[in-house]
Amino acid sequence: MKRFFAIIESPATRTFLLGLIVLSFQTTLFNTLRPFGVVLQVMLLFSCASGVAAGSEAGAVSGFMFGLMYDMVLTAPMGLSAVVFGFAGYMAGGVNAFVHEARWWAKIIAVALATAIAVLLYPAASLVVGVDGLLGSRIVTVALACAAFNAAFAVPAARIAKWALVKPVRQAVWAE
Amino acid sequence: MQSFTRRRMIVVLLLTSILLVTLDLRDSGFVSGVRDTFGTVFRPVERLTNVVTKPVSNAWRGVLDYGELRKENLALKDLLVKQEGTAIAAAASVREAQELLALNGLPTLAGIDSVTAQIVGQSPSNFSQTFELNRGKSSGIRVGMTVTNGAGLVGKITDATLERSVVMLATDPEYAIAVKVGNCPANATTTTAATTTTSLPAETTTTAAAAPSSTPDGVTTTTLPGETTTTSSTVPPTTTTTTSTTTTTSTTTTTLPKPTTTTIKGFTPFSTTLPPRPGGSGSQITIPETGGLVPRETGAMEGRGIGRTPIVRFVQASERLGALCEGVPVVTAGGSQSLAPPDLVVGIVARVVNRKGTAGPLLEVDLAANLESLNFVRVLLYQPATEIPR
Repeated sequence: MKRFFAIIESPATRTFLLGLIVLSFQTTLFNTLRPFGVVLQVMLLFSCASGVAAGSEAGAVSGFMFGLMYDMVLTAPMGLSAVVFGFAGYMAGGVNAFVHEARWWAKIIAVALATAIAVLLYPAASLVVGVDGLLGSRIVTVALACAAFNAAFAVPAARIAKWALVKPVRQAVWAE
Repeated sequence: MQSFTRRRMIVVLLLTSILLVTLDLRDSGFVSGVRDTFGTVFRPVERLTNVVTKPVSNAWRGVLDYGELRKENLALKDLLVKQEGTAIAAAASVREAQELLALNGLPTLAGIDSVTAQIVGQSPSNFSQTFELNRGKSSGIRVGMTVTNGAGLVGKITDATLERSVVMLATDPEYAIAVKVGNCPANATTTTAATTTTSLPAETTTTAAAAPSSTPDGVTTTTLPGETTTTSSTVPPTTTTTTSTTTTTSTTTTTLPKPTTTTIKGFTPFSTTLPPRPGGSGSQITIPETGGLVPRETGAMEGRGIGRTPIVRFVQASERLGALCEGVPVVTAGGSQSLAPPDLVVGIVARVVNRKGTAGPLLEVDLAANLESLNFVRVLLYQPATEIPR
């Protein structure tokens, strides 16, 4: 029983469940709300937020996981979003390396920057695997809109990500 | 040590991504299996979230799109009224065309079964242009099948599960199809003579009734100008025969409006002169010559992404084939390797971009189907040879 709870409460399970819920919002609500015709990237937001909340390493892993889940519902080659989101999580986590106990505005900037770079990186990565035609002037609008939205929700998203990624104390007791 | 572990983990993630991308691009059954399994797990969560977030979506739409929707609704109502008449005429023409095609043993869409499906979802990505349909393999839908709507080509099926399928739109950068483009025709001209004078002979004798007369036994005699006619009937001896003769003089002069010239796209004209009518000059009418119909050129149409019109490449700019111009129709080319059956309406040429050298011109195509507001679509149960799994 302890083992079961340990699995349930493990960061990996929590991150997966969080990803499942966030993905469902991505494919329903955020698929409808399209400011300036741009689909806001909530999965990317949580990838970056994970990095900000738990560091580059955790950001890369959870970004990879969120990206992989996102790939499952897209027709793009599987693994493409995973690598881009993983990179975004890693980049956003860099804020913890540069700043000791990052302030809220530093987190916002880190999330916004990582988002914009990831959005610009995605078409380039697609080009590498042979998916042509995604690089265009529209990409700038997409990057700006996504960065602005993700910056606005960076702090609450980082809190949620922290809840998912940081090991609870109780688990440590059960795991013994 | 920690740095080494971190680096190793990043390398592992990168290698995993590369492996997955490679497997997916090689159409691995493992990847599609994982996708299907994930879809099964994810679908109920998505459905639940959809129910919860529906009011928010509706409120958003209500706030931002109300005015636009109202305008669009009025415009659509107007359009519908106009279309109703046209649709009836078009249906008659289509039936006639199908009969002709059948008579000549040519392939036609009439022989291909189809499934009507509703669009239930859209890709959540900013890059791919795909829609999800509420019908899948259980309805006979397979990967590669062509999707159309009332107006024309919409795209093709790229993925199909038991109850769902995914359509890639014709504007997606990954979409390409062989098409036929009509060359710019020489303008057909219909000319009507300015003044037509019809003079009946001075001495014309007609019957008193001045109309076809009918006898009880069914024999009908019609009176023609310039001759004296006696109406007679072949009846049993007991019937009385009536003869009536009247003499009238009539001269009619009809003046028609100025010469009218009508330009008809798609027709190569030739002139024929009808035999002269009695007392009048011959009138000239134009009839499309069947042997001189505009030739069709084939090319490859490719999507270019969101907000950009698809283009047709590999079209020859040859004098022999005629000039390329805007407004000519673009239809699918068909053929054993093509994604779609032949002669499916794609759209019209919106712009011709001439290029130097042997590259040939590029044609921008305005799709007939409005991909911005799709609701119901028709999936042609026609799987191209290239899409059938080995």
